[in-house]
Amino acid sequence: MNCQLCQKKLDAYREGILSDDMRTQVKAHLKLCAECGESYRIQLLADSVVNDEKMIIPDNDLTSRIMARLENSTETGYRNISPFRKVLKPALIITSLAAAIFAGVLIGNIYKPSVRELSQPLELALIDDVAIESVDILSNQ
Amino acid sequence: MTDSEVIIKILSGDRDKFRVLVEKYQSMVFRTCIGFLHDKDDADDLTQDIFLQAYQSLNGFKGEASFSTWLYRIAVNASLNKVRKKTGHPVFQRIDSFLQSAKGKEVFPPVSDTDNPESILIRQENSKWVQNALDSLPENQRTAIVLSKYDDLSQKEIADILNTTEGAIEALIQRAKANLRVKLSYSYKKIKKHRRKNISFVSNHKNELK
Ligand SMILES: [Zn+2]
Repeated sequence: MNCQLCQKKLDAYREGILSDDMRTQVKAHLKLCAECGESYRIQLLADSVVNDEKMIIPDNDLTSRIMARLENSTETGYRNISPFRKVLKPALIITSLAAAIFAGVLIGNIYKPSVRELSQPLELALIDDVAIESVDILSNQ
Repeated sequence: MTDSEVIIKILSGDRDKFRVLVEKYQSMVFRTCIGFLHDKDDADDLTQDIFLQAYQSLNGFKGEASFSTWLYRIAVNASLNKVRKKTGHPVFQRIDSFLQSAKGKEVFPPVSDTDNPESILIRQENSKWVQNALDSLPENQRTAIVLSKYDDLSQKEIADILNTTEGAIEALIQRAKANLRVKLSYSYKKIKKHRRKNISFVSNHKNELK
């Protein structure tokens, strides 16, 4: 048996599904060939790591925690949008938008004067506009 | 009660019936998550997310595949998404950074008191390089290995989940195994070199420690 064939048969050898004859040949090669022997041991080690991981089990309260999240979740509705929601959602968005614009205009009108006054720096508010020469006069000079 | 009967009850408003499906399939989902994530806490979190997602998409379950096949698909997709978010580095870079930091997260069940620190460290190191080799496989090969090695599914079952033929899965698993062999022996040689370096470091400094 050569190394290539041995490597090819290693999985089946580990799984114990080789014919008696092939198993004997692989076994004999593994004893003689350091390279294939190491490869075999590496794979056994990998198997044991996977088996160790498979022994990790979830905590007993996992079901309760999932159900609690389901109860508390704000997204407990199904994700697929119903035809009713398909129509309702855009209508709701348009209505809210119109209401927001209306409210904005209303608030803007109510607070217009005070907003202007407040936006003016204090120094400018104290200047007597009448006493200032007109820009037109200066430009005429 | 069959899964389909349970699902009909849930969809007609009996939300608590979902518990039946969670109890029946949580170990299966959890094992898939472990296969991808190798960490108990991460697998626990993701299992919760997967069941929540399954609940929210339940009316999309048409019964064309079995519920477990449908759930596996959600679990595989969620796991791959999680893995994509988690990893940004090529695997061998990760192996190197592991060797430098040498502080892998505890992934094994609690070890017995008789285990000495060295053997615990070696065990953790072993698990880490094997996991890294698995994780470095292309996504489809990695998925096939997880479903076959961790979930012990047949090629037919894996083919159903991945929506392909048994022949394609057989070829995929063979490629994955061959690929894994190469990666394992590469990582093993690296780790052996690292251990030798550590052993010589310890023996060089033995007298100082006395
Ligand atoms: Zn050989």
